[in-house]
Amino acid sequence: MLIKIAFLNLLRNYRRSIVGLLTVGFGVAALFLFDGFNKGIMRQYKDNTIHAKFGHGQINTKGYRDQIFEKPWEHWIENPEPLLKEVAGIAGVSHIFPRIEFAAMLSSGDKTVGGRGLAIDGHEEADFFNTMNFTEGQAFRDEPSGIIVGKGVARALGVKPGDRVTILTNTIHGSLNGADFTLVGIFETGLKELDDSHFRIQRAVAGPLLDTDRIESIALGLARDEDWPQVLETISKAHPELELTSFAVLDRVYYQHAVDWLGQQFLVIQWIIILIVALGIGNTMAFTILERTTEIGYLRANGESKFEVLALLLWEGTLIGLIGSVFGILVAWLLNITLLRDGILMPPAPGLTRQFFVRVELQGTMLILSCVLGTLTAAIATGLAASGRVRMSITAALRYR
Amino acid sequence: MNPRCLYSCRQLSHSYQQGPLQFPALHEVNLDIASGEFCLIMGPSGSGKSTLLNLLGLVEPVQVGSLSFQDEDLRVITEKKKNYLRRHQLGYIFQSFHLFDVLTAAENVEFFLTRQGIPAAERQKKVQQALEAVDLWLHRGKRPQEMSGGQRQRVAIARALAKQPAVIIADEPTASLDQDTSRTILQLLKDLCHEGRTIIVSAHDPLARDYASRVLLLKDGRLDARGGKVHAD
Repeated sequence: MLIKIAFLNLLRNYRRSIVGLLTVGFGVAALFLFDGFNKGIMRQYKDNTIHAKFGHGQINTKGYRDQIFEKPWEHWIENPEPLLKEVAGIAGVSHIFPRIEFAAMLSSGDKTVGGRGLAIDGHEEADFFNTMNFTEGQAFRDEPSGIIVGKGVARALGVKPGDRVTILTNTIHGSLNGADFTLVGIFETGLKELDDSHFRIQRAVAGPLLDTDRIESIALGLARDEDWPQVLETISKAHPELELTSFAVLDRVYYQHAVDWLGQQFLVIQWIIILIVALGIGNTMAFTILERTTEIGYLRANGESKFEVLALLLWEGTLIGLIGSVFGILVAWLLNITLLRDGILMPPAPGLTRQFFVRVELQGTMLILSCVLGTLTAAIATGLAASGRVRMSITAALRYR
Repeated sequence: MNPRCLYSCRQLSHSYQQGPLQFPALHEVNLDIASGEFCLIMGPSGSGKSTLLNLLGLVEPVQVGSLSFQDEDLRVITEKKKNYLRRHQLGYIFQSFHLFDVLTAAENVEFFLTRQGIPAAERQKKVQQALEAVDLWLHRGKRPQEMSGGQRQRVAIARALAKQPAVIIADEPTASLDQDTSRTILQLLKDLCHEGRTIIVSAHDPLARDYASRVLLLKDGRLDARGGKVHAD
């Protein structure tokens, strides 16, 4: 009966109830959409990190990443083939990418620039590392002398796909070595330091060039992001001499800091939205409750305790919150499948040089949390607005005009 | 004390504070009301009728003097006990009806029965009895705004009646009604009194005198000795 009265009371002054519902609804829609937008940006960052640079994580020899060595190749992974086979067979691991990073000079015609090379297995990496954003040409696969370079490197060398690029580097024994490559593609990750210095060649060519059969690291691609802890545990147990590092740590500045920053920003915006909803609904309910002061007095005169009258009013606030929240979720969902269907074009993020599209990723947990927050906020605001009225003396409430 | 005595007031005084000023409303009222009386409180505006009614209705706290209801000393009674008495022993009827606009006549009557924790089947029975008593059973599905002033007041009486309280307190129940309707309402209250309930009514309307078994005259917060029993029945 109490809930029925609370519900019917919403229809008493339906215009005011609609204002309350809209206040909660738009607040909840804003919370839900903003979280989805944030998740979309985080997903973009994550995908960029995983599918343009590191995979889900990387295997090195223990302590390798924490120190600077005069001869780093002495700490590379020796005789990697059995290990690669073993890692490939671990549950959750879908891809393995042996890699060697090295410094080199790149020349084309009379131009020479310094760069950081990454020796990879082109065929295996081409499909997984699919967010490198090739502005010209494409990723190399099986071309033995293919090379891809960052946009800045290409600009400095004045090369385009099909042009010849010569690489000069030192073997691990210190002697100078070089080889000619054909430019297959030019990538633009959006990270300036990467685009201005990085290039990639086949590991099969890099081995003789550097005169080593070792590999520096193994990047891992997983079937699901959530498999990382299990893979980490399996490999760490079987190979205590190795060390695994997740992409979030490998790319702390770009990925983890962005995630932390966005998370904190969301928290602030969330509180602002909650405050606006609380003020809006508190104001609406304060008017409603003021109008019903004599009714409160009558209920109290008939034996309803202050708490019971408060409960009735709280039900009304809760119903406005709940109905408004459901409305807000529907609005957010409709916006997401219509106006926001193609995502939102974002200007380059801090540290990036290119624009990107963010899709709003609405998630179940945030749907529930938004509803709970909307409903709780409405209930609490109603409680605050009502607490003074229910504490009024019964006769004062009955006399109220 | 008379074993049928329901209320007992001794030296009951009451005043209202408004800013730095204190306005006396009741002055040393001594009064006993027995079970089954139809007690009419009359007096000019500002004489203290509503204050006395509110004190008897347990909605105003006792300030000076003593007041007991069903042998409960209202000076020391807990809020919980007061709520219980208001819910189970007292029924209220007001000049402005105070019906829930959003509920039908039957639902209005049922509301406080629900709050009393009465099971649904029994509630329906009581609702029917109460609405039949005020001749509104056929109008049970109407909302207050679809009813006349007299019908609304009869719903308010049915609502008070359905609780089966020991006392029905009515504050100016006929003030906004025409004379015919007022007679109907007062007769209803008198019938309830005959069924054994105590009726306490405050009114300006001299018509009410014809129905009361006792008239209390208030002037400047004091009981006038000219009041007293007006009907033998």
